Amino acid sequence: MPKTIIDANKSILSLDLKELFQYKDLFYTLSYRDFRVRYAQTFLGFFWAFIQPFMTLVVFALVFSRGLQLDTGDVPYVLFASCGLAAWTYFSTVMSQAGISIVGAQEMVQKVYFPRLVIPLSKAMVGLIDFGIALLVILGVMIFYRFPPSPNIIFFPIFVGLAIVASLGVGVWLSALTIRFRDLHNIVPFLVRFGMFLTPVAYPSSLLLDRIPEWALIVYYLNPIAGIIDGFRWSILGTAPPNTMAYISFGVVILLFISSLFYFKKVERTIADIV
Amino acid sequence: MSDVAISVENISKRYLIGDTSSGSIREALAGFFSNRGSQKTEEFWALKDISFEVKRGEAIGIIGKNGAGKSTLLKVLSRITEPTTGRIAIDGRVSSLLEVGTGFHPELTGRENVFLNGTILGMSRTEVKAKFDEIVDFSGVEKFLDTPVKRYSSGMKVRLAFAVAAHLEPEILIIDEVLAVGDAEFQKKCLGKMEDVTGEGRTVLFVSHNMAAVKALCSRAILIKQGQVVTAGEIESVIASYLRSDNSKAAHTTSGLYDLRKREKTDSKVGHLIVEELRLLNSEGKITDTFLMGEQLKLIISMAGFSSFKGANVGVIFKTLSDQWITSFTTKMKPLITDETRDFHEDITLTIPRLPFTAGEAFIDISISQPGVGRLDHVERAARIRIEGNDVYESGTLVDRYFGLVYIDGEWGVERTYSVQ
Repeated sequence: MPKTIIDANKSILSLDLKELFQYKDLFYTLSYRDFRVRYAQTFLGFFWAFIQPFMTLVVFALVFSRGLQLDTGDVPYVLFASCGLAAWTYFSTVMSQAGISIVGAQEMVQKVYFPRLVIPLSKAMVGLIDFGIALLVILGVMIFYRFPPSPNIIFFPIFVGLAIVASLGVGVWLSALTIRFRDLHNIVPFLVRFGMFLTPVAYPSSLLLDRIPEWALIVYYLNPIAGIIDGFRWSILGTAPPNTMAYISFGVVILLFISSLFYFKKVERTIADIV
Repeated sequence: MSDVAISVENISKRYLIGDTSSGSIREALAGFFSNRGSQKTEEFWALKDISFEVKRGEAIGIIGKNGAGKSTLLKVLSRITEPTTGRIAIDGRVSSLLEVGTGFHPELTGRENVFLNGTILGMSRTEVKAKFDEIVDFSGVEKFLDTPVKRYSSGMKVRLAFAVAAHLEPEILIIDEVLAVGDAEFQKKCLGKMEDVTGEGRTVLFVSHNMAAVKALCSRAILIKQGQVVTAGEIESVIASYLRSDNSKAAHTTSGLYDLRKREKTDSKVGHLIVEELRLLNSEGKITDTFLMGEQLKLIISMAGFSSFKGANVGVIFKTLSDQWITSFTTKMKPLITDETRDFHEDITLTIPRLPFTAGEAFIDISISQPGVGRLDHVERAARIRIEGNDVYESGTLVDRYFGLVYIDGEWGVERTYSVQ
């Protein structure tokens, strides 16, 4: 028989992941809901998931490849940019949706108990559908250019996993902070817009390596998704492997994720009172 | 396994009024950098040192007025919010229903919402699947299962939502006033389902304003006032003290006491007002405007010089809020023996030993007339009373407005049975 203890003085150091696991069905249903709602009553349905990245790619190709004559070596520019864009789109979508998820679910939060962490975590799933479509686009572009995948592709799942962890790490932090600071509603879209240019999405990170001082490069790689995008390109296209700086980025990802879980747990107890 | 299902020890919950914690970054920074006591927060204890125990299989009602802390207590017990101090041990699987249809999404179909709502309430998908047909059956919306819920009427939504909730199978069920939704027929069905639940030996914690429902479901009750337990114990006595405490408040706010001198002049033939004041008393002699069905209601009508009008009649009319007459009393039925000393002020009383009105509200009109003269005074809507539903037949069935405006004594019986042969 399950026993519940509610104690005002309980330790905040336990994450209670076992309980979280018991609510896995809620996680799936919430993901399914978001997915259904997203395409409900849209005429083009899934087609939207193609159009948005496609248009961005066209703009990138015109500005960076045609306009600025950006050199991406043996890799066709469109293919190069599409790998970066797939990772960035997933990261920014999940991060911003998870960020506002708790405030968006306040009615639910005030009426029923369940581990609140399920809400932001479930946002990682919906993004994966769009991500899958983006991968299909990349595959199409590869076929078009007759560009074979690199043998490093076996490492690709690791970077996908890291991308999920990175998005959730930032997303869970944001969701917990947004409860107190609604200002983040305005800051996050701004971060997403500018973040894309501070991340090697449309240009190779190698472009910066010998042009900016080392301290600036360290700051640059504090961006959790920067190293992952290098990894995406390395594993799919066989470009240069992630440089040593990129490991800063991987470290940041792990640190953000673990700290986000603990911070969330700390805030969780007061969510219903202040949301 | 102990026989205690829920044990609550010294639970308190503090809220900070004017709390800035849900504010903006600017406020947080301002608060951080300045030490001028800008934190003008005030403490408010929604719950103070609450302790009680609920035995396994027991149904317990939590009653109290609005703002007494009932909802906060339920929120703490259902883990929605944490207590400031104290400890609660709950032994068994808990489901709490503070609302029906939590998480319902208008874009999703009825079927999808059943799964969504079920999992939010803590069921697994397999459990929902197993009970799906039963749930749909209970709700009565099977035809619209694949229609988005936004196209449902509000009644259909409530039915579906309640159907999901009714099929939870926890060992401990915590219910807020969710019965206040839906039409009367559906409410009955829900109440019936809940009685089944309590009958199955489940532990139930039930919060309601509906004394009849509490009485029908629970054997014990806890009365809460200003965040503290006032009394706990056997249901009848706790409800009685709740009604008493309600009355003591009524005396201050003059509900149950109506000064009728300040009204506008009516179409009186004598040109002055006769009815001066009306007081309503319950069986305990307390002034109130709230009565339990079947309880005694005593009206005291204070009048100026009534007996100076020879042969005058007093009429008391009970009406629904839509001015439909329920019944009326007149002194023609039994002429009053009035005092010939002609005191200027006098009280006349009307005692109804067992109020036969079903739950709801009613207006009281008072009318004075004299044969050959006509109307001397008339007070329309002199008072507005509330009647609480009650299980007057002591059968476990709540008799309320659904049964009509009044109830009368009646006896069912079987005189002869025929065998089918």
